[in-house]
Amino acid sequence: MITTATIFIPLLGAILMLFMPDDARLVRYTAMAVAAVPLVLTLYIYFAHGSDLGAASLTQELNWIPSLDIGYRVGLDGLGFGMFFLTALLTLIAVVASWDIQENSRQYFAILFLAELGMLGVFAAQDLILFYVFFEVTLIPMYLMVGIWGDENRRSAAIKFFIYTFLGSTTMLAGFLAFGVLAGTFSIEELNAGGGLGTTAQVAIAAPILFGLLVKVPAVPLHSWLLDVYVSSPTSTNVVLSGILPKLGTYGLIKIALPLLPQGVEPFLPIVAALGVVNIVYGAFVAFLQPDLKALVAYSSIGTLGFILLGTASADPVGMNGAVLQQVTHGLYSALLFVLVGIIASRTGTRTISELGGLTARMPWAGGLLALGALAAMGVPGLAVFASEFMSIMGGYTAFPLAGILASLGIVFSAMYLLYMLARVIFGPIEKPAYEELTDAGPMEMAAVVPLAVLLVLFGILPGILTGVQQPAVEAVVTVLGGG
Amino acid sequence: MSYTGEAFLGLMPELISTGFLIAVLMVGVFVERSTGLVASLAALGALVTFVGTAVLLFIGFEGEFFGGGYVVDAFALYFKLIVTGPAFFAVLAAARWSGGTGDGAEYLTLILSVVVGAMLLVSMRDLFGIFLALELSTIPSYAMVAFDRRRRESAEGGMKYLITGVIASSIMLYGMVLIYGVAGSAQLADIAEAFSEQLTPVALIGLVLLVSGFAFKVSAAPFHFWTPDAYQGAPTSAAAFLSVAPKAAIFGVLLRILLEGMPGATSVWAVVMAFLSIVTMFVGNLFALRQRNVRRMLAYSSVAHSGYILAAFAALQGQAVPTGVQAVMIYSAAYAVMNMGAFLVIDLAGEEVKGYNGLFRTRPGLAISMGVFMAALVGLPPLSGFFGKAWVLLAGAQSGSGLVYVVVGAVVVNSVLSVPYYFGIIRNMFFEKPAGDAKPGEGGFAVELSVYTLAAATVIFALVVGPLAALAQASGLL
Repeated sequence: MITTATIFIPLLGAILMLFMPDDARLVRYTAMAVAAVPLVLTLYIYFAHGSDLGAASLTQELNWIPSLDIGYRVGLDGLGFGMFFLTALLTLIAVVASWDIQENSRQYFAILFLAELGMLGVFAAQDLILFYVFFEVTLIPMYLMVGIWGDENRRSAAIKFFIYTFLGSTTMLAGFLAFGVLAGTFSIEELNAGGGLGTTAQVAIAAPILFGLLVKVPAVPLHSWLLDVYVSSPTSTNVVLSGILPKLGTYGLIKIALPLLPQGVEPFLPIVAALGVVNIVYGAFVAFLQPDLKALVAYSSIGTLGFILLGTASADPVGMNGAVLQQVTHGLYSALLFVLVGIIASRTGTRTISELGGLTARMPWAGGLLALGALAAMGVPGLAVFASEFMSIMGGYTAFPLAGILASLGIVFSAMYLLYMLARVIFGPIEKPAYEELTDAGPMEMAAVVPLAVLLVLFGILPGILTGVQQPAVEAVVTVLGGG
Repeated sequence: MSYTGEAFLGLMPELISTGFLIAVLMVGVFVERSTGLVASLAALGALVTFVGTAVLLFIGFEGEFFGGGYVVDAFALYFKLIVTGPAFFAVLAAARWSGGTGDGAEYLTLILSVVVGAMLLVSMRDLFGIFLALELSTIPSYAMVAFDRRRRESAEGGMKYLITGVIASSIMLYGMVLIYGVAGSAQLADIAEAFSEQLTPVALIGLVLLVSGFAFKVSAAPFHFWTPDAYQGAPTSAAAFLSVAPKAAIFGVLLRILLEGMPGATSVWAVVMAFLSIVTMFVGNLFALRQRNVRRMLAYSSVAHSGYILAAFAALQGQAVPTGVQAVMIYSAAYAVMNMGAFLVIDLAGEEVKGYNGLFRTRPGLAISMGVFMAALVGLPPLSGFFGKAWVLLAGAQSGSGLVYVVVGAVVVNSVLSVPYYFGIIRNMFFEKPAGDAKPGEGGFAVELSVYTLAAATVIFALVVGPLAALAQASGLL
């Protein structure tokens, strides 16, 4: 019940938004209050039920299409809980960071809440069709958010995003339908370990599902939609777009592709691991070449997503635990960096790295937090990403030694471009006389970034807060895969 | 042959709508300034017919009349609902417009005669009965398309529709005659026996001609070329109604002919259907991409959707037959609500794509409704169109045939291919600024209410699809 309530509260919020008076301030504070509710509920779930998320709990099941055994089945387990929490958190951050949404903020928040409904639903769905429905429910809101509130390139970016991910998800749907109809049910629980299908059928079904999920991540040869969308979006949309949406793909791998089709994905795991390494190395190299700060963060984000793919493909308890954790830590740091880029760009009027410089002199907080975020992105010990990347590489090394070695080299590359960026942007002499007048982040801006920074430190010191919840569920997946 | 009370009960929906048809015509002739009255009568007629059919379905009425040539089962009743529901909205949409033409009663009579023909059609189990019912529903529809005398395109569209339609009917009739010659009977049950073994050349030609005739009627490519002109020229209510209601009935009766009359020849007609389906999907979508006129775009879109439904026909083999039948039934219902709604929006927002610029700012309710219809036509969940496509894919997955897998792949590719033109409208409505010189259409309050109702139905479809699937499963056709 509490799961369903958490998922659908944003819907009520969206409806409420449409009936709000046209007062930007009031609308914003109401939206914050609405966004806080799912967050409070997930915190309650963590403290009250955090220890028994080994298998799906807090479940609810309703008949939907009985003739095909499709049901409204939701529940939370250790695999999805972290992202469930992060979705609630980042939606709130996105509301707080919505200062560049000047027009029609009511509609913006209503659409954001619809997207939140879909994202929360994905991480709680325990039925293939329901998973797909929630997966797609996020699509139109994201399309509208980019297309209405993005920059001048928004129209083509929005439709490109939509067509790419829709192609992926429709292909995935075909796989889901074939799976469910051959196995006789769409319940994720009952489909565990293949739902009684043979290896050939599993491989044939796994191929389209993996394709769809990898487009969503995006894995590197399938990533060309990403840059335009990230760069064109407003800051607030970036938070959700980079923090949550890629995880719809990686979570699908961890929750559905691997445990449900263990024999089917087996031949593809080396490919997924290789794609992970390609993401890491390619992301780092291309990020190095970006003149635009936002594009640099976008490619950095692609790079660190590679660790999730590598850890997942390792089918190793440590590696998968790292992958599940990396989903959350990646969301925290990328959201932090995107918001800070937004703050800096709003003050200096540019995102071009070569035109920035010496920002810490006038913006110590924003600059310092940018340094913190960049250090986290490099995987510096003591910050959250370190633990998850380290575990992913460990697992990756166990399963695919070469991949593990290349991935750890990737960390070095990412340190190079991130340190270069920091040196250019926040240190050094003040680049332009106008920057003497810059003001530091205001209270609202700090409210958007400080919680993320605090959590990066907290999960860096105590990763067990999340890994403890994930561990049993991850081990269940590894057992199905025949490892561990 | 005895006319029992049961036969009257089974024919009640048709009798009711025929009664209202005569009443509307008479009132139109004898009462002056009767626009409001005839419109209410016709709307009431559609509504009462709908409720009567629903009651028959609800009490589980089944019966065979006229020597087995006419059957009332859940399958037929289901399609009768899909015919009468849209008729109600078509009458609402037509009321104001047709009143303006001065021939309101005639136009509404035409709608009701299409309804009667289409309802009879899905109950027929005899090839010649099928032909008569089909003509009963198509001849008035030629007149409906050509009814708007103020626009030249209307006459042109009607003329093209008439000529191609008559050719199609002749081809179909020729096929029927050949099949009759082979089987020695026009009853589907007898044909099934004759078609159980290896097909003779004559039987094969008969089958191909029959299917070609049907392909014309459902605007399957390469027999689709009348569709864009007819739908562009037709009054909006006619295009909206004809693209969903009679078409659903034609798909229904085609399903009956193939499954009850030719189950032995599945291997032949399934291949034909697979071919038709692939060509139709690609032609519909590729041509729709180029359109700047919303009516024309929706006309090509309806071609594409015929292709998706035909994909379910291609999957009607082996284990997949029940799922394939369900797919056609669910798709037809899903398509009826979303496409009817999309066409009716034209009455309110005009037919130029540019006219939709900034609609979200000026008329948010209408823009959101149109957005819902467009997203549903793409097949996004949880809207109605998604379930139609999902069932088609399900049937394809179950069929176990390589050719059908190709068709399924084409359905996936075409769904993506259709995104740009449906979303072009969404983009204009939501991303662009309102154009100052946009010409609003001529719909009234009733049309607006219909649009909202249909948008709600497109969304709520997700909640009723479970019972609908159960109903389709128990429909009596295999």
